[in-house]
Amino acid sequence: MSNIYFLFVDDDPEELFILNDVFNDIQADITIRYAANGEEALALADSDYQLGIIPSLIILDLNMPRMNGSQTLESLKASERFKHIPVIIYSTSLNAFEKEQCISKGAHSYLTKPTSYAETLETINYFLMVAGSQHVRTDSRAV
Amino acid sequence: MHELHRITLENEFDLILAHKRSMKLGELAGLTLSAQTTFATAVSELARWALEKGKISCMVLFVDNAPPNTYLGASVNNREPAAEDNFAGLEYAKKLVSKYQLSNRGKEATIELFYAIPGAPKIDIQKINDWRMTFRNEKPISPYDELKRKNEQLQELSEKIRKSEQQYRILTNTLPQLIVTLDSSGNITYANEWLEAFTGKTVEELNRDAWRDVVHPDDYLVFSILLSNNLPSAVFPIKMQCRLRNSMDGEYVWHLVSVIPLKNESQEISSWIGYMVDIHAQKIIEQTLQDNKALKETQQLLVEKHRELETTILQLNRSNHELQQFAYIASHDLQEPVRKVLYYADYVLTQYKDNLDEKGAMYLANIHAASARMRTLIQDLLRFSQVSSGEIKFDVVNLNAIAKGAVQSLQMNLEEKNGVVNIRNLPEIMGEKSLLQQLFENIIGNAIKYSREDTPPVIDVYAKEEDGTVEIYFDDNGIGFENKYVPKMFELFQRLHSRKDYQGNGIGLAICKKITDLHHGSITAQPNEHHGARFIVTIPSGLNNK
Repeated sequence: MSNIYFLFVDDDPEELFILNDVFNDIQADITIRYAANGEEALALADSDYQLGIIPSLIILDLNMPRMNGSQTLESLKASERFKHIPVIIYSTSLNAFEKEQCISKGAHSYLTKPTSYAETLETINYFLMVAGSQHVRTDSRAV
Repeated sequence: MHELHRITLENEFDLILAHKRSMKLGELAGLTLSAQTTFATAVSELARWALEKGKISCMVLFVDNAPPNTYLGASVNNREPAAEDNFAGLEYAKKLVSKYQLSNRGKEATIELFYAIPGAPKIDIQKINDWRMTFRNEKPISPYDELKRKNEQLQELSEKIRKSEQQYRILTNTLPQLIVTLDSSGNITYANEWLEAFTGKTVEELNRDAWRDVVHPDDYLVFSILLSNNLPSAVFPIKMQCRLRNSMDGEYVWHLVSVIPLKNESQEISSWIGYMVDIHAQKIIEQTLQDNKALKETQQLLVEKHRELETTILQLNRSNHELQQFAYIASHDLQEPVRKVLYYADYVLTQYKDNLDEKGAMYLANIHAASARMRTLIQDLLRFSQVSSGEIKFDVVNLNAIAKGAVQSLQMNLEEKNGVVNIRNLPEIMGEKSLLQQLFENIIGNAIKYSREDTPPVIDVYAKEEDGTVEIYFDDNGIGFENKYVPKMFELFQRLHSRKDYQGNGIGLAICKKITDLHHGSITAQPNEHHGARFIVTIPSGLNNK
């Protein structure tokens, strides 16, 4: 398993398809685990944690059934196990109010979903950067 | 002593009358014919004495139950003392009767004759009453007797009338009513004291048109018709309500006026009686009750209207909320498929451009452009739906900072056109920072967008403050607009220019209007002297209220 592990949470699997397409194009060595909503995401993270696997980055859509992005963010940040993991809010619409709320709840950053191949590439690079620096940071802390 | 009959003694005829009446009395008492004659002779002699010696005298026939005897009698009242003189007739009479009595009382003298009825029968009240009736109903003995009686009756009657009229006057004068009698031409022939006291006018004055000063102008016409008596008598009695002025305080007082015709024996109307009764209190109560009823009805109506209004507001709020939700969800969810179309179109355009011929690439580029437009439209709509009163918190806002912030966001567009924004000293107001920033951005952005092709945009932002209201002016040297478009400019999706010339969805100014509305202000526009546009935002500064 690769060093970098993304937990991608979105009710639309097509989003994963789009991202994967680009990951393949750039041949990045990344593991992506998919959850269709907040509940699934938390369950997945918990079971992975038993196996000693912790995501480097959680990418969270906002509008999802059962447990939405905002609630999931709160649960993650309330958990001792996961609160240090960076969470990027990844949503279609840009809403200043929502953005502010998510940041205040502990989200790392807030991205609107890209509309072009070029933008998608930039987005993935940003993900890698956030995950990588985090990765480095956890490593350095371990030393 | 019970008086039975009275005879005035005036002349010789009365002697005969006295004789006949005493004969009759004897007969009634059951005396023998000779005894009747004896009694009647005595009475006649007494009457003769009274006629010849007395002064305006009057004879009374009576019965006297004085046990052990019962007497028939006659007495004469003389209006001067009488002395025992040697009047032969009287001496003779004395001898005929059982008892004789002369008494002087003050200036009057009374002579009485008593004739005892043999056997002294008891004459009870019943019998005495019968006898009186007999005398009263006795046919006149002669034309003289008849005349005399009529005369007496007339005198009695006139006395009664005099008394009754006096009573009537006292009565009418004490009543707090206006009472008048009128002749056939409406002139007052009699008025009670209250009329003069109340109106402060004499009867003469009233007859000379002074009613005009007394009757309320609104009521005068009907009143004068009523008083003129020029109405068919069949419609009487007529009643009307009118206001009469009280001379004591000058106030008009409601009266009920009734006029009744008085007819003589031949059924012709000879005069009229008018009553005017004070009904002011009644009228006021009536009016108050009516007002009260009207008030209650109005109140009820008001309550119903209020309830309707509340329901309407509730429905409106609900539908407004639903509409906002709809706009938000629709625009939010619509964005997603549009983004996908955009993304895939871009993917094919960029990753497969070598495999596309020119026409295919062009069509795909058109798909991409249309999707991009749709995305902008949806995003604008979303922005519009998000400008709502829901979460607004007002704070002191420095408009200079807001204007500078707006210019900063527009820096790129401004540089592109070499434009300048001159911000002159702007005041502080109570408002919502981000909304105001959006307002400034939209207006200044518009000014940049609609600049003249050959002229770099120059935009002046300045303000006037008066009476707690701030007017913010945005003047530009752009392409301007005609005044007639102003009313529609601030409506959603209204565009002045074709998409080919200027981009836009007609949402920017609608958002501006929404923002000024939320600040309890307004926005308008007009062409300025440089044929550019001038936008004027008016907002209460809100600082005075703090």
